[in-house]
Amino acid sequence: MRANPEVLILEDDAETLDELQSHFTRKRFHPLGARSASRALSLLEHNRYSSRPVLAIIDWDLGKAPDRSASSGDVLSRLARELRECPVIVYSQNIDAFNVRSQIQRSHPRALLHDKRDGDASLLERIDRMLDRTVGDLRIHDGTVVVHLPTLDQHHHREAIRLVVHHPDIVTFHSDTATKAVRRFGEWLHSHGSAVRLVSHGNRKYRLNVTPTEGAAPDIEA
Amino acid sequence: MGVTDAPWTLGVCAPDRSRAILVVTVDGELAVAVRDVVPRGMAVVRDARAEDAGDIAAACLPWPWMVIGNAVSLTPALATVLRERPVLTYWLGAAPAGLPEHARCFDRPAVLLDIVRGAFAANVGGMHLAPGSGVELGDGTLLRGATLESLVAAYPGGFALPARNFRAVADALARHDAGWATERDHNDRMTLVPSAVAVRR
Repeated sequence: MRANPEVLILEDDAETLDELQSHFTRKRFHPLGARSASRALSLLEHNRYSSRPVLAIIDWDLGKAPDRSASSGDVLSRLARELRECPVIVYSQNIDAFNVRSQIQRSHPRALLHDKRDGDASLLERIDRMLDRTVGDLRIHDGTVVVHLPTLDQHHHREAIRLVVHHPDIVTFHSDTATKAVRRFGEWLHSHGSAVRLVSHGNRKYRLNVTPTEGAAPDIEA
Repeated sequence: MGVTDAPWTLGVCAPDRSRAILVVTVDGELAVAVRDVVPRGMAVVRDARAEDAGDIAAACLPWPWMVIGNAVSLTPALATVLRERPVLTYWLGAAPAGLPEHARCFDRPAVLLDIVRGAFAANVGGMHLAPGSGVELGDGTLLRGATLESLVAAYPGGFALPARNFRAVADALARHDAGWATERDHNDRMTLVPSAVAVRR
């Protein structure tokens, strides 16, 4: 069964939001679009137990938002606290200003920064590079499957996509179901003789490694 | 516009077990510069002010791998962490009271940033920092443990701390036949040494 992964988009400009949503729909992601921070927070709250977005695109400057009761910083902080494994791209006209970067990083220390002055096309290109990733002999296709290139076999679980999108970062998984799915993905990689290995860092943390590394890592201070 | 004023809601205060660099400054400019030199996936930079540095340090689990500061005093909570744990400690400008003996101070940001880059590139007999957390041994084995991460990054330097802080690392290195051990150096700091050297002594 395929479950299209969600992407959270916070963009106050209606036209740009439409464009971004269409882009993700074409790529078979399910966009969760919001023009205000409060709406984005509400989308995160309502999807809390059903899904976890594989990517969030956040406009830092929300001057055109219909509701300003919350800020983009609030959304970023929420993402950092509750969806740490979700990669976040923040874009702003003032991304070069150190105080803006500092505010963004205090809201979300892992946020990736993008210069809005480079235009929407540049943002979409960056997103595509991130989502259509090739890691070793794996490639994400249509946002919904991980393809093992030598055999063209496919793995469909969203947690597998999350790991590939996140490479080389560690991803924390928050449920037994997700952890089991990750282990199945690890077994799938092994059975396909993939150059990519699943590495466990304990405490439900995993990452992919393209060079051979032994599986379970003991915590020497545990 | 995007600012949130409530510090207790900031994402930077969220607990996390990834390797962390805590940068404590008045305005965050140095944290931005540090972030630019950290290789992707290797560590999270946590941008702190003096007033929230203790809380943010407590959220770095088990403790911050590196603390960098400039023009701020040390809060008691942060001073305790630096005094009791093997934390790489780098300061830009005049050192405040309470820094541990192994702290290093720099006059120029460029030199400090080079040291940060060097910490990530450290390779001690094949042992190097793994992405996110842990140390990879020469044979590809991953060992998790903040103390070993600090020892590898500080090499050939070390930490002016009691030997008991390093026993688990010494045991793990011996168990994995890594060829390295922990020992106190001529500066009275615990550091990594080749096992053969440690045995001879």
